[in-house]
Amino acid sequence: MTEAPAHPTGTAPRLVGTSVPRKEDLALLTGTARFVDDLRLPGMVHARILRSDVAHARVRSIDTSPALEAPGVLDALAGAELVGKVKPWGDLMQDLLVGDHFPFATDKVLYQGQELAAVVAETRYQAWDGCEAVRVDLEELPAIVDPEEALAPDAPLIQEQIVYEFGEGNVFDRYKIRVGDFAAAEAGAAVVVRQRFATNKQAGAALDPHGCVADYDSFTGVLTLYSSTQSIYMVRDVLADVLQIPRTKIRVIVPAVGAGFGSKAQIFGHEVIAALFSMRLGRPVKLTLSRADVFRAGTTRNAQVRYAELAMAADGEIIGYRDYIVHNTGAMSVWGNQVVHIGTNVGMLPYAIPNIHVDSDIVHTTTAPGGPLRGFGIPQTIWAKEQLVDMAARELGLDPLAVRERNVIDPDEFPYRTPMGHVIDSTSIKQCLLASADAIGWDAPRAPHEGKGLAVSMKYTSARHPSLDTDLSAVRLRLETDGTVTVYSSDVSHGQSHATMLAQIVADGIGVGIEKITLAPPDSMTAPFGLGTYASRGAAVLGTACRLATERLRDKILAIAAHVLEVGPEDLDTGRDRVFVKGLPDSGIYLEIIAATAAYRTHQLPPGFEPTLETVATYDTPTEREGSDGSGNLSVTYSGAAHAAHVRVDPDTGRVTVVDYAMVHDTGTVINPLVVEGQHHGGFAMGLGMALSEDYVYDAQGRQLNASFKDYLAVTAPDVPELTKTAEIPAPSTMIPGGQKGAGESGTGPVPAAIGNAVFDATGVRFTVLPITPQRMLVALREKERQGVETLRYPDDMPDFTGPRRHDDWPAPVSADADLDFDFDWEDD
Amino acid sequence: MQKVCLTVNGREVSAEIDERTLLLEFVRDVAGLTGTHNGCLEARCGCCAIEVDGDVVKSCNVLAVQVDGAEVTTIEGLAPQRLAPVDHITTQSLAGMYRPLEAVRGTPEDLHPVQSAFHRCHAVQCGFCTPGMVMVLKDYLEENPEPTRDDVRRAIAGNLCRCTGYQHIVDAAMEAAAEMRGDPVPEGAAHAMTAAVDGG
Repeated sequence: MTEAPAHPTGTAPRLVGTSVPRKEDLALLTGTARFVDDLRLPGMVHARILRSDVAHARVRSIDTSPALEAPGVLDALAGAELVGKVKPWGDLMQDLLVGDHFPFATDKVLYQGQELAAVVAETRYQAWDGCEAVRVDLEELPAIVDPEEALAPDAPLIQEQIVYEFGEGNVFDRYKIRVGDFAAAEAGAAVVVRQRFATNKQAGAALDPHGCVADYDSFTGVLTLYSSTQSIYMVRDVLADVLQIPRTKIRVIVPAVGAGFGSKAQIFGHEVIAALFSMRLGRPVKLTLSRADVFRAGTTRNAQVRYAELAMAADGEIIGYRDYIVHNTGAMSVWGNQVVHIGTNVGMLPYAIPNIHVDSDIVHTTTAPGGPLRGFGIPQTIWAKEQLVDMAARELGLDPLAVRERNVIDPDEFPYRTPMGHVIDSTSIKQCLLASADAIGWDAPRAPHEGKGLAVSMKYTSARHPSLDTDLSAVRLRLETDGTVTVYSSDVSHGQSHATMLAQIVADGIGVGIEKITLAPPDSMTAPFGLGTYASRGAAVLGTACRLATERLRDKILAIAAHVLEVGPEDLDTGRDRVFVKGLPDSGIYLEIIAATAAYRTHQLPPGFEPTLETVATYDTPTEREGSDGSGNLSVTYSGAAHAAHVRVDPDTGRVTVVDYAMVHDTGTVINPLVVEGQHHGGFAMGLGMALSEDYVYDAQGRQLNASFKDYLAVTAPDVPELTKTAEIPAPSTMIPGGQKGAGESGTGPVPAAIGNAVFDATGVRFTVLPITPQRMLVALREKERQGVETLRYPDDMPDFTGPRRHDDWPAPVSADADLDFDFDWEDD
Repeated sequence: MQKVCLTVNGREVSAEIDERTLLLEFVRDVAGLTGTHNGCLEARCGCCAIEVDGDVVKSCNVLAVQVDGAEVTTIEGLAPQRLAPVDHITTQSLAGMYRPLEAVRGTPEDLHPVQSAFHRCHAVQCGFCTPGMVMVLKDYLEENPEPTRDDVRRAIAGNLCRCTGYQHIVDAAMEAAAEMRGDPVPEGAAHAMTAAVDGG
C-alpha cells in the first residue's frame, strides 16, 4: 500500500480539510460556462430524433424519403439502412457483451421513446418539420410494464433476437448470493419477518438534457464529439467499436455538464446518430434531447420487487436475510444487471449478517432502460431490509434503535471481514447511528400523526463491477513554465467540484497557490485513461491518483531545487509558490524558476535529470472480483450513513411532511467539508423524491404518462426540510492514502427506509411500495380504519408464511388482511 | 418570418426570426447569450428565467414576437465580465490574472450579491440551474428584502435543482438578502460543517 504523502507546505495553510470556495463557480454564476447546448460551431446543423410513441411494436416500415423533400432537410436516417454497417453495442453481462443496442429500432420497438428515425436540417425547426414528414407503420404488440408479468411462461417475448447466456425468455440475467445457511438461521430464529416490497422507477432528471455536437473532419477522418457525458473513454471506445474506426480517430471532449447522477454514464443512441450525420454531411451536427426524450429514453433507477425475509434472534441479533428479487431493467440496459449485484452485496451492510440467501431474476419489460442512479441499487435494498429490521424489532418488543445499535459493525479491530466478504477498513457507523437518533430526539414523545424512523446504510467508494475488471483513475500534472499547474483527468466533473478538490490536494503537496491550479477540460486526446465519474469515486480514487502524481511532481521539483541550492532534498520544504530550506520560509526559489529551469536552462538541471515537470499516476483500487457465491470485497472502502427522520402525516390530505431530518455520515477524511455537505444534501433530496413523489407512471400500453416536469413531481425547495442536522463523524479510510471515502451517494441510501419507518410510527401503516404518495396514504388510512386494526401493511399485505421462496409460491398480494400481531409498547401516545 | 427588436442587457438586438422562436432561443441564438439555459421547454424547471421589463419570466414560455421592443436582462447582465484587480501580487503574477478566492465579494463592479452569496455558501454544484435561480432570487429579494427561509423556498418553488437539495441555495438567499439590505456579510464559508481533519 502506498504511504500517504506528507504535507510540508511550510507557512502556507493546509487546504485539504477546509471549505475552500469553489474554483468552478465564477463561470457558472455569470453565465459564461459552456454546456453542450451552448456550443455553436461554424456551419453547424441540427438533428432531431423521431421516437416511437408506442412501447412494443413490430416495425412494418419506416420511410424517411418524404422528410428529404421538406425545406432545409439535409439528410435522414432509419434503422434498416444501417444494419450491417454499424455494430450493435450493449449490455455487459458477467464478461459478455450483449449487442442489444442499435441506433434505431429495426424490426421491433421495445419501449416508448426508442429511436425510429432521425432528420438533420439547417435549423432546429426544419428538423422538427422533417421528423413529422417521416412515414412510420408499426404493428402494436402487448406491452409488459409489470416485471413479474414478464416472468410468466406465456408472456410475450421482448428481446427476440438475442440468446442469453444466463437467462431465457424475458430473463436477461440471474444473480444469487449463498453465504452461510439461511435455513439453519430460520430454524434458530426467534422471529422471521417476511414482506413483499416494491420500489419505483426514478429518473435522474439532470437539468442539463443529454446532448452532443458531432464534428467530423472529412480530410483528417477525425470525429470530434462534444458530449454531455460522465465518461469520455466509455463513449470513445464504444463509439469507435460501433463505427468500426480507430480510437485515435475519435476525440471526445466534454464541456460543462449539468449533472448526471448516473444517467449519463454510458453511450446513447443520439451520440451515434449525430456522429453518423456529421460523417455523412461533413458538417457539425448538434443533437440535444428534449425533456420528454430524456425521461423516455434516458436511463432510470431500476424498479424492483423483493420478497424479503429477515431472521432475528431473541436478543435482537440479525442472523439471516433471504430475498427473491425481480429486478426490472427495462427494455435494455447497459448497467442494469450490475445494479442488483452491487446494490445487494453492499446493501447487506452495515450489518455482518452471517446467513444470506438471495436469488434474483433480472428481467426485461417494455419500459425505459434501467441503469445507474445515485445509490446504485442500495436504496432499493435498504428500503426492504431496514423496514424488516423495524418489523422484527417490534415483533420482539425491542427498540429499533437498540436493535440497530446491537447489529451495526463495530469490530474490535480493523480491517474486519464480514461473512459477505466486505473488508471494512474503518467505520464510525455506530456513533453515526446514535448521533442521528439523538439529533431528532428519538426518545421524546410523538405528537399525534407524527412519527420517527431510522435507517442505516453503507455505500461503496467506487467498485470493481462484476463485468468490468477495473477500478481505475489517472491524473497527469504539469508544472507550467510560469509556476502554474495544469491538472489533466478524464473523470468528468459534473457538480462534484473536481477543479477545487484536486487543486486542494496539489496545493498542499507542492505549495503552489490554489488560484494557480487549473483543471483541463476532459478531452480524450490529452487526458490519461480513467473510467469516469460515477460510483462516488472522485475524492478517493481520482483523488489518490492526484495525490500520487503530486508526490512525483514534488520529488522532481525538490531534485532540481536541491541541485540549484546545493542542499539535500530532505532539507527542503515547499510553500507559498516556492521551495525553501527548512526554517527559512521567506527565502527560496519560486516554482516558476524551477519550471523555467526544466524547460529553458536545462544545463542547470541535476545530472541525468529528465527535463520535464510532468508526472502521471494511476490508482486502481485493491478490490476483489465477485465470487461465484456472490460474496466479495467489491469496494476499497465503505462510507457510512445513519439517517433519522421525523415525519408528520396529514390524515385529511394524505401528505407526508418531513419535519426534521438528521444525517450523520462517515465520509472518512473530508477534503472540502462544504462540498461534502452539499453532496449529502443533494443525496437526501434524491432519496426524498424516491420516497414520496417520483416515479414513472405507465398506462397499460406502456406509455409513460408523466414524461414532463409538470407531472413527474421532482422535489422542489418547499418539499425539503431544513437540513441543519447534517454532520460527519469521520473514520478515515486506511486503504485510501488520504483517508477519503465516497461522498456522492451515501446521502441517498437510507432515505426511503427512514421515512418509511417514520411513516409507520406515525400511522401504523407499513408501506410496501414507493413512492408513498398522498393518494396511497389516504387509501391506506381508510383501509386501516375500515378493518379496525392497529397496523396494516399496504398495499401488499403478506402474512407470515413458510415454504419455498419462488415468486409464484407466494400468496397473491391482497390489501384486505391486516396483521394484528404487532405491539405498540414503545409508542408514547 | 418576422422582425423582432429587443434590448438585451442594454444592447439593441434585432433579427428576422421564425415566428415559433421562443424568447429563450432569441436570447441564446440571436443575442448569443447562452447563460440562460434550456432545461425543459415547458416552464417547469426555471433554468431559463430572465427579466423582461423588470419582471422575471420563464423565457421558454414566451415567444420572442410577444415581447418585441422589451428590455431584457439576463444573467450576463448582472456581472459584466472584467479582469480582477491585482491585489495578490507575487513576483510571478505580473499580469494580475490571479485573484485570491476570498476577494470575491458582492461589490457593484464585481458580482451581484446573490451571485457572491451563492459562491460563499456553495449553492452551486453542476451550475445548470444557477442562472435561473439567481435571476429569480434577485427579482424576489429586490421586492422582499426581509424574507424568512420558508418565503425563499416558496419563491424558488418554480426552479428545480437536482444537485443541492436547496439547503445551500436558501442559505445563500438569506445572506444575499442581508447584504442587499446593507447588513454586514458574514466572513468566509461560515456554514461549513465541522469535520475533524486527519491524515490528509
